Amino acid sequence: MSSPQKEAFSAPTSISHAAQGQAPSKNLGVRYNCAQCGASFTLGKTDSIRCKECGHRVIYKARTKKMVQFEAR
Amino acid sequence: MASPQVDESFSALLKEEYKGRKLTDPINTVKDKWELLPAFLKVKGLVKQHLDSFNYFIETDLKKIVKANEYVFSDVKRDFYIRYRDIRVGRTSDQSPDCKGISEDPHKCRLRDMDYTAPIYADIEYVRGTKVIRNRNVPLGDMPIMLRSKSCVLDGLNSQEMAAREECPIDPGGYFIINGTERVILIQEQLSKNRIIVEADEKKGIVQASVTSSTHERKSKTYIICKNGKLYLKHNSIAEDMPIVVMLKAAGITSDLEILQLVCGNNPQYQDLFAINFEEAAKLQIYTQQQALLYVGKRVKTIRRAGSPRLTQLQEGIEAIATTIIAHLTVSNLNFREKALYMATMARRVLMTMHNPSMVDDRDYVGNKRLELAGQLMSLLFEDLFKKFNSDLKIAIDKGMQKKGVAVFDAVILMQSQIHQITLGLSRAITTGNWSLKRFKMERAGVTHVLSRLSYISALGMMTRISSQFEKSRKVSGPRALQPSQFGMLCTSDTPEGEACGLVKNLALMTHITTDDEEEPIKRLCLLLGCEDILSIDSATLYSDGNYGIFVNGTLVGTTRYPIKFVRDFRELRRTGRVSEFISIFTNTHQTAVHIATDGGRVCRPLIIIDDKTQQPRVEAWHLEKLLKGEWAFDDFLKHGLVEYLDVNEENDALIALYERDMEQEPEMRFTHLEIEPFTVLGAVAGLIPYPHHNQSPRNTYQCAMGKQAIGAIAYNQFRRIDTLLYFMVYPQQPMVKTKTIELIQYDKLPAGQNATVAVMSYSGYDIEDALVLNKSSIDRGFGRCQAVYKNTINLKKYTNNLDSLPGMRVDENNKPIFAHASIERDGLGEVGMRVVQGQVFANKHSYVGDPTGPAQPLNSEAYRETPAYYKGPEPAYIDQVLMTKDKRDETLVKVLLRQTRRPELGDKFSSRHGQKGVCGIIVQQEDLPFNDNGISPDIIMNPHGFPSRMTVGKMIELISGKAGVLNGSLEYGTCFGGSKLEEMSQILVDKGFSYSGKDMLYSGITGECLQAYIFFGPIYYQKLKHMVLDKMHARARGPRAVLTRQPTEGRSRDGGLRLGEMERDCVIAYGASQLLLERLMLSSDAFDVDVCNNCGLMGYSSWCNTCKSSEYVIKMTIPYAAKLLFQELLSMNIAPRLRLGDVF
Repeated sequence: MSSPQKEAFSAPTSISHAAQGQAPSKNLGVRYNCAQCGASFTLGKTDSIRCKECGHRVIYKARTKKMVQFEAR
Repeated sequence: MASPQVDESFSALLKEEYKGRKLTDPINTVKDKWELLPAFLKVKGLVKQHLDSFNYFIETDLKKIVKANEYVFSDVKRDFYIRYRDIRVGRTSDQSPDCKGISEDPHKCRLRDMDYTAPIYADIEYVRGTKVIRNRNVPLGDMPIMLRSKSCVLDGLNSQEMAAREECPIDPGGYFIINGTERVILIQEQLSKNRIIVEADEKKGIVQASVTSSTHERKSKTYIICKNGKLYLKHNSIAEDMPIVVMLKAAGITSDLEILQLVCGNNPQYQDLFAINFEEAAKLQIYTQQQALLYVGKRVKTIRRAGSPRLTQLQEGIEAIATTIIAHLTVSNLNFREKALYMATMARRVLMTMHNPSMVDDRDYVGNKRLELAGQLMSLLFEDLFKKFNSDLKIAIDKGMQKKGVAVFDAVILMQSQIHQITLGLSRAITTGNWSLKRFKMERAGVTHVLSRLSYISALGMMTRISSQFEKSRKVSGPRALQPSQFGMLCTSDTPEGEACGLVKNLALMTHITTDDEEEPIKRLCLLLGCEDILSIDSATLYSDGNYGIFVNGTLVGTTRYPIKFVRDFRELRRTGRVSEFISIFTNTHQTAVHIATDGGRVCRPLIIIDDKTQQPRVEAWHLEKLLKGEWAFDDFLKHGLVEYLDVNEENDALIALYERDMEQEPEMRFTHLEIEPFTVLGAVAGLIPYPHHNQSPRNTYQCAMGKQAIGAIAYNQFRRIDTLLYFMVYPQQPMVKTKTIELIQYDKLPAGQNATVAVMSYSGYDIEDALVLNKSSIDRGFGRCQAVYKNTINLKKYTNNLDSLPGMRVDENNKPIFAHASIERDGLGEVGMRVVQGQVFANKHSYVGDPTGPAQPLNSEAYRETPAYYKGPEPAYIDQVLMTKDKRDETLVKVLLRQTRRPELGDKFSSRHGQKGVCGIIVQQEDLPFNDNGISPDIIMNPHGFPSRMTVGKMIELISGKAGVLNGSLEYGTCFGGSKLEEMSQILVDKGFSYSGKDMLYSGITGECLQAYIFFGPIYYQKLKHMVLDKMHARARGPRAVLTRQPTEGRSRDGGLRLGEMERDCVIAYGASQLLLERLMLSSDAFDVDVCNNCGLMGYSSWCNTCKSSEYVIKMTIPYAAKLLFQELLSMNIAPRLRLGDVF
């Protein structure tokens, strides 16, 4: 919202947990935006749901960096 | 049609500039008088009734309630007391450390599923130990706040500030937010309280006058009924009907002559009718007040609370007269005269009706109704909760003080442990809609409704809705019928069809609903204006000729011999602003009475006053000039006595000119008022219809129902909202043919529809029965395209040591996420923007199902179960937003918003604004559609058979006006009783080279030949309705079955089967294919092998009869599972169904 930094899509670094059938849970890399101040940040698994800048309690997930194709009809 | 002189009075409505207008012309006075309407709506707003009522509750009623329940005493310590000195609801403006306002913005409350409340603070005074302590700002729970009321954070904000709070400036407000849902307290319609209503049952020959007394303490109903020609008083708390003379004697009127004077005056006919009642009293040998009171006291049903002293019969009688009968009159110093007069008045009304049956009151008359609004309902609720809080507090204090060892007992601490009762009580009533007040034995369900956010209009329509208390099942037409008195007050078109028809109404555009006003100053004012006090006048002169009784809120307070002067003086005071503008006064010549009403809930509307002397409207051109310059507001017109509010009763005293020309044409009529604008007879929803005065009336009613289902823009914050289900139109357009109402309610800013070019012709045969032919290219260009967004809520519950969690996606051996998890990210939630198809997960939740208080468990243990949220729709959707927050219980709340873009398809429903709905029957390539010489082809082809029986002439005029507007580059008006003239529109068409009739020559798109007939062709505003095929399509071959019965499930949402019912079964039998039934309904679907014991007739298992303990007689056979279930269910009810088997062949 506030600072549209251009970040290239980076593939998740280590996915070798297929044996467990679960992706690593203590991941980061999912970006969130604050509903109040628009700050962009990441959250760990155990972090509380709060904006890291202003402490606001409503956050949105940021839009994907993957390509999404829409059918034009 | 009409003369050119008439045309001119409408031309003001057509133009929007005022600069070029001749304002200097003294005769040309109020051409712009409709400008008062936007001024009125600016001050009052469309939902001002709700806001006013809630503001009155917060500012006045709340304090009154607390004042009436000021003290809390203790039984244990006599000198202890708590006194509430003041109460207030926290405002955002007064942010001090100990007094806070609303903490969260309304939109945050919606998102976080919270309550939009403000704290209630009380100033109290109480005894601690031996000292009297005064505390300010003691919290007393939370009050739900109505949006846009004075306590709301949105009060007085401009558009920018509203936008900063993510709020729509056009949203009307007037609702509450509880648990994140918007809830409206609907306006309730009731028969007026504390007024005498006379009814007659002609079949049974019963005449009765009744009054429902309603005070803060109690609600009771007193009747005076006529049985066998004799009058009796009936009341719930008196066991038998009391003769009226006995009651009057008990109330202190002991002389028979005086009774006769008070009831009948000197009218010999009334005297003859009434004389019989004296015999009744004489027979009972009651002559004195003492005897009468004893007689009454003996028959009173007493419900004494435990502990209160027993009363003698005489005391019971006094108590009954003083407090229970006609309870809304207060008796001081045992002076019963006022009550006696009231009873006498009631008796007189009954006599009058017996003498002349046309004197009955009409229960359906709007003047006899009161509308109860959110503020009144909230105040009833709060009072109940506050009383309960205080009585609970008293019990707690008594208990606390009896405890030994506590040095200083502090009541405030006790108080704080109880306040959640008030908070909870208020919010629960609003969420459930159940208003249950023990005090009034009131048990009302369905008072609140979820605000419909289908479109802007549906939300607005909900705010003006009035629900009636009448039972829907009763088959009387009276309450449902259109009442002449609702003109200008309640919308004449907007009511649902079917069950609730006529019982649910809507407010008209200019309606205002009054709030309570002080009665005492008015009574004093009456005396000053020459009214003779009722307590000091002689009974004999009360009903003498030419004497008018003066009633304030239904109670006789005095008489006057000059009613005309009295009423005129009173009105003059009101017009000069000395008396509240909402107090009504009117004369009733049949009852020789002047009635003054100050109570709340009356419907009224503003009208321009016509000067009595000059016979000219008091509003002149320069007044309106001031208004347009912004120097004056609507209130200035009231203050200067140019405009006044009339309620339904006072309208009967007025002669209202509809137009100025009526005054000029009939100068001898002596009009008293001038209508501001005639189109205000319609409400906000009916106001959308162009040219409604040309339509058959039921068509307007149908459109009122459909306008609320139209997909369009919802609010400026529509993309920020996360509602269960919302539909948006992708390219909404404002209508080509607008109305004044559309501008006033700002429908043009949040429209719900598109201007489609319509050809009225038959095409292809797929247009029968109102089906429409749609142009495929138009659809490609975005016609009728809409978006559907729906919310999915995921709650992560917290347990002592465990909590529901969202593990990431599951991956296959190639480290790729499995198909179901393709759209989620590593936080277990859908990736914003990704596509989800049926069966894919957008929130991979794992719920904790173990012991709630148990120790922490690992995620992959038994204690966690996978409970992911799947996407179930037939068409793919996109993840629009994923919101994460904490709700009010501090649990994690995730809302995933899914979006679909839908283009019109076969079976989608469309409607014009004239109650003409139709489904899309075929979508045709543009190449195949007819076109005119400009190459224009229609968006929609409508079959002409829709017109003759529906008689929606308005739709035709809309087409012509719209076409003229398109060619002219202007927006035309179709305002009710006005709007662009057909002749002028035709002239524009002719000027632009088209036929005056709106018909064009078209060429066939298939053959290229010129069509045989001219085609009625032009733009009509079309709405897309919410009923879409995608939400309804359903088919199933095989699928889920219910566990118990093994029958297919029911309903689309459960992928249910389509029932082959009894009648369908009958058809197959009648056809002679019963073996087909056997095969399809049993052998192939419901067959079940059972072991039946032919000895006992019961069912066994594995070739063993458990009843007979043998396998000797057990026979295997096939029966339907349903039959087997029936036998077992019968067994469980102690009925043994026994099967007896025999050989067939």
